[in-house]
Amino acid sequence: MNRVAAVARAVVFDAIRRRIVWVVVLFSLVLAAVIPMLPSYGVGVVGAVYREIALAMTYVAAMVVTLVLSVARIPVEVERRTLYSVLARDVRRWEYVLGTWLGITLTLAAVTAVFGGIIFAVGWAVYSTPMWTLWQGVLSIWMEAGIIAALCVAISTITLPVVVAVAALAFLFIAHVRADLLGGPENPLWYAYPSLDAFNIIAPVSHGVGVSLLYLATMTLVFVAWAGALLLLGALGFSRRDL
Amino acid sequence: MDIMTTAPAIRIERAEKRYGGAAGFVAVSDVSLTVAPGSIHGLLGPNGAGKTTTLKMLLGLVRPSGGTFEILGEAAGPGVRARVGFLPEQPYFSPLLTAAEVLMLHGRLSGMIPSEVSSRTGELLARVGLEGREKTRLEKYSRGMLQRVGIAQALIASPDVVVFDEPASGLDPMGQRDVRNLMIALAGEGTTVLLSSHQLSEVEAICDEVTILNRGRVVAEGSIDDLLNVAGRTSVRARGTAPALPADVQSLMEDVAVSGGVWVFSVPDSAVRAVIDILDDNGWAIESVVPKRQSLEDYFGRMLEEPVHSTGAQVMSR
Repeated sequence: MNRVAAVARAVVFDAIRRRIVWVVVLFSLVLAAVIPMLPSYGVGVVGAVYREIALAMTYVAAMVVTLVLSVARIPVEVERRTLYSVLARDVRRWEYVLGTWLGITLTLAAVTAVFGGIIFAVGWAVYSTPMWTLWQGVLSIWMEAGIIAALCVAISTITLPVVVAVAALAFLFIAHVRADLLGGPENPLWYAYPSLDAFNIIAPVSHGVGVSLLYLATMTLVFVAWAGALLLLGALGFSRRDL
Repeated sequence: MDIMTTAPAIRIERAEKRYGGAAGFVAVSDVSLTVAPGSIHGLLGPNGAGKTTTLKMLLGLVRPSGGTFEILGEAAGPGVRARVGFLPEQPYFSPLLTAAEVLMLHGRLSGMIPSEVSSRTGELLARVGLEGREKTRLEKYSRGMLQRVGIAQALIASPDVVVFDEPASGLDPMGQRDVRNLMIALAGEGTTVLLSSHQLSEVEAICDEVTILNRGRVVAEGSIDDLLNVAGRTSVRARGTAPALPADVQSLMEDVAVSGGVWVFSVPDSAVRAVIDILDDNGWAIESVVPKRQSLEDYFGRMLEEPVHSTGAQVMSR
C-alpha cells in the first residue's frame, strides 16, 4: 500500500494547488454568506431553507471540483508521458488507478470539509443554532463525489477527457431519476438500476432530524461497493492498455 | 551482486509488437538485445525504427506480442523494475509539484522510505546541476531543467540499470556534456546504461556496444570498434612541408584530407610499413597510425539505406 499512498500523496499535492479548486471554494463562501439574505422566508422554516440551499450549493460545487480534478487526470498524464517514469517502476497499474482515485477523493474530502465548515459557521452565526445535521449532508455529498471520481478515473483510463465528462454528467442524471423512470420497488428493474439515490439525504437533513447511524453505515457500504466496482473496471481496462 | 556477474543486465529475445492483430502493423519484429552488466549500450535508429517501443515493452508500458524480456536475470516484471531507473523522452512532471516532491514520489515507488529519499534528494539534484532547487515548483523550470529532474528521478533509487531515452534532448551543449559524463560515471560505478539516442556523436563517444534498429528490426549490432573499423585499411596522419606526398605513397592512398600541412589518408594494412618508411625517408613527421575508422554517422546512414531482409537476420557487415 506504500505505492498507492505515494501516488495518492502526489495527486493531493498537485490537486490542492490548482487555482480552480480554491476559486470554487471562494465562490461558495460568498454564496453561503448571501443565502440568509434571500427574501420570502416563512417564519419557522428559515433554517430548513438555508440548509437545503446550502447543501444544494455544496453538491454543485463538489461535483464541479470532482469533474475538474478527475476527468483529465489520467489522459493528461498519458499524453504528457508523466506516468511513464511512474509505471516503469515497481508499480502495478491497479495501484496507480487506486492511488489516483484516493488522492482525488482525499482532496475532495478537504474541499467538502471546507464547504461544510463554511455553511455550518454561517448557519450558526445567522440562526444562532449549530446545525449538526449539515455534516451528514456533507458526508453524503463527499461519498457521491467519490463515486463520480471513480467513474471518471475508470473511464479515463481508456478514453478522452471530453468523453469522460459527458459520461459522468449522463451518469449523474441517470442515477437520480430512478423513481421518475421506474416508479417504485415493485418494478423488476428497480434494484438493477444504477442509482445514487442513497446519497440524496438533503430532504431529511434540511427538513427533519437527519438520518440514522444505520443509514449512514449502509450509505458507506454502497459507496465502497460503487467505488470498488468502478475502480476494478478501470484497473482492468488500464492493465490492457498500451502506453 | 552475484547476479550481476553471471547474467546479462538486460536480455531481450525475439521481441515482437504488432498493432491491430495478425494482419496489423508490425512495430517491432524479432528484436534481440543483450546488455552486459556495467556497460553502456546504445540503441540507435531513425524515427519509427522501434526503439521506444522496444524500451516500453521491456519496462511494461506496452504489452509485447511476443518475445522474452529479462532484467538482471529475472523476468522483466514489476518486482525487478524497482532496480531500474527510466528517463522517458522529453519527460514531463506535474508543474505544481516541486523537484523534491517528484523525487519523493519516485523514490517511494521504488521502495525507499521517506527519510532515505530526503537525504538523497539534495545530493542527487546537485549531481544533475539543480542544487538548491528542491522546493521550486516545476512550473518555474526550463525545458533543460525538467530534463535534469527526469534524470534525477531515474537515479533516485540508485538503480542497477538505467534506461535513458534521448537524455540530451532539450539540453544545451554544456548540459549534454554533463549528461555524457554522468553516464560514463554511472558505468564506472557498475551501473548498466541502456541509451536510446539520435545523437550519434554521443553514442560513438560513450557506448561500448550498439544495436541499430530500422523498421522494427535489428540491422546491426556489436562493439563500436567492430562496427566502425574498416577492415584491411589503416589511417595515417603525417605532417610535412612538401606540397605533395611522395609518388609511391600517392599510388596507395585513399580518402585523402589535407589541412595546414597535415595529411590524413588511408592505406592497405599490408602497405603500412612501406608507407611509413617512405614518409620517414622523405622528412615527413608521422603523427598517428591507427586502424581506419568510419564515423558512426556514415555507418548509420549506410545501414539505413540497405534493404531490411524479411527474415530479420542481423547484419554484422561493416
